[in-house]
Amino acid sequence: MTESVLSARNLCKRYGGHVAVDDLSFKVQQGEVFGLLGPNGAGKTSTIRILMDIFKADSGEVELLGGRPGESRERVGYLPEERGLYRDQRVLEVLTYLGRLKGVDGATAKDRALALLERVELEEWSDKRVKELSRGMQQKVQFIACLIHDPELLILDEPFQGLDPVNVEMIKGLMRSLVSEGKTVVLSAHQMNLVEELCDRILLIDEGRALLYGSLKQIKRDFAPNSVRVRAAELPTAIPGVIGSERQGEVTLFTLEGIGAQEFLAALVESNVEIESFERATVPLNDIFVAMVQGNSQSEQ
Amino acid sequence: MRKVLTIALHEYWINVRRPDFIIFTSLVPLLGIVALVVSLFFGRQAGGAIVRMFDSGSDVTAVVDRSGGFTPILPRFEEEYVQYGDEAEARTALENDEVQRVVVVPDTYRQEGEVTVVTEGSRFSGSGTSGLRAFFTAHLVEEIGDETLQARLIDPYDAQVEYIGEKAQASGGVAGEILSFIVPFLFGILLAVTIFVSSGYLVRSVAEEKSSRVIEIVLSSVTPQQLLAGKVIGLGALGLTQILVWIASAAGLGGGLVVLAGILLPLFTRVEVFGLALVYYVLGFGVYAVLIAAIGTLGSSFQESQQITGIFIFIAAIPMMLTGVIMTNPNAIVVRVLSWFPLTAPTTMMLRLPLAEVPWTDIAGSIVLLLVTIPLVVWLGAKVFRLGMLMYGKRPGVLEIVRLLRHA
Repeated sequence: MTESVLSARNLCKRYGGHVAVDDLSFKVQQGEVFGLLGPNGAGKTSTIRILMDIFKADSGEVELLGGRPGESRERVGYLPEERGLYRDQRVLEVLTYLGRLKGVDGATAKDRALALLERVELEEWSDKRVKELSRGMQQKVQFIACLIHDPELLILDEPFQGLDPVNVEMIKGLMRSLVSEGKTVVLSAHQMNLVEELCDRILLIDEGRALLYGSLKQIKRDFAPNSVRVRAAELPTAIPGVIGSERQGEVTLFTLEGIGAQEFLAALVESNVEIESFERATVPLNDIFVAMVQGNSQSEQ
Repeated sequence: MRKVLTIALHEYWINVRRPDFIIFTSLVPLLGIVALVVSLFFGRQAGGAIVRMFDSGSDVTAVVDRSGGFTPILPRFEEEYVQYGDEAEARTALENDEVQRVVVVPDTYRQEGEVTVVTEGSRFSGSGTSGLRAFFTAHLVEEIGDETLQARLIDPYDAQVEYIGEKAQASGGVAGEILSFIVPFLFGILLAVTIFVSSGYLVRSVAEEKSSRVIEIVLSSVTPQQLLAGKVIGLGALGLTQILVWIASAAGLGGGLVVLAGILLPLFTRVEVFGLALVYYVLGFGVYAVLIAAIGTLGSSFQESQQITGIFIFIAAIPMMLTGVIMTNPNAIVVRVLSWFPLTAPTTMMLRLPLAEVPWTDIAGSIVLLLVTIPLVVWLGAKVFRLGMLMYGKRPGVLEIVRLLRHA
């Protein structure tokens, strides 16, 4: 069993009468990309701020890198959703200062800042004032600001916000290489396609409560409808167990009832159908997200 | 502690290089220089007056005595007064700068008292006649044989005033008394000005970090307490730098180094007052700076934050407004209350210490209260800070702040 770098047990946080985080428990394993998902106002940022010791939880426990939150600020990199930089200061100066606040000495912080700037193709901008940079460039500088101290755990709140596709690819590449170095990432994002691409496990929350939690593969399997996609030159019209079929270009989607995909495939093979491709249909994470959140709000009513 | 220092140094270094800081700091010396240049160019007389003020050795008055009462000039006035037989001759001496003024005493002087004074310069720079009084009196009383009576006529009385209901302690004569009051008063003003100047920087610094949204990144690296302490130290030093530049330039331009020495010397004769003033200065600054920085985070803009914090500068200045009360009765109940209340204690005590034998309970009590207050305001300030920094949009009401603080 892999070691957990972060575990939260029964976290609760209230603001006046509003419950932001409601009895939330989860674990993040060493070396994984963990997706923290939810609609706006679901309690993601509050949860992250509790993990970062910016807010205190009303109740519940957090263990982060073997200690209490706030004990290991130097080992955690944090990219907040509400973020910015000192606009009147120079890029390298800002990065060095933020590195020093993380306990890195000035010279090391500077070297790392230059190396990271080069990595995101901003090395020529190191002497420019932050306000001279475009929004996308500032986003990249903010991203490297949370890597400057070489943290073991990264907590990224909406890292892709405001980035063009080229820069999204660049940040994705950077994240993958960080994970391959053994670092752990907690990712909060609204782009479900990116979450699907990057995350190993996810936690979906709404109104402060957990709706879904676990391995992304397993969740998708659980949500997969009993249907298959088949591509074949010719398909028989009547197959037992099929209650619906829909042609999607060259592929046909069969909805099954009473039989599994395996049995259905066997039936096709038996009827000598020339199969070009066969796959279980999956549901995009986006649909799962929408269904779960809408279902949650309906059950509330 | 290292992080506090990193923040303090960063804040100091970033701000000390800002063009507006440099301009604002050099404004006072520049104005001084401008004033000096103006007075030199457009008022040679004024310049002359200043020179005469500081260089009294060259101040000579020509006396044309037609009454006979001032001939010969008494030996102790011989350096500054020279007898001339003829008015025309005296006027030539004035034109040649050999003397600075001519006094013509007519033979009707005894009856009418009128004399003519001819002087260089203008009405603006003054005629320098005030110094003549001693000269005239000395010669007039010379006719009286009794030396004691002469002395009394010249200096009729030396009042030894005793105030009932107050234990004023004067050491070192009138000058010492005035200085021992002025110096702590200046210290009080210095504290108020430091608070005023630094609070501006503090409020701007937190407002900027808040509006640029960099604050949450910073708070993920350091605690609110560390950030607050670093800012207070760094920007306090910045404010002090500015004030020291102003004082130094004022002293340098005004030729006031002598004045400065005059201010500092009596301090060293009463070291305990100086030491305590310093203690109150540091503690007072600490309390105010933390409060201002914390409260400053609640505003949604620099201007709004500055309005909220203005009230504290007012509180710091309250004892200054009550100077009259403190002077006449340094141990009055209201003064003692102000001495104990942490927000007014520093300035009140600075005014009160040199004036009276302050009960040690008041000194110890106020210092202990200040020492207890500082960690308290840091703790509370960090809470407000944590809350205010991450609260965007509208400014919360007092009730809302109290409610939120319980959850922060």
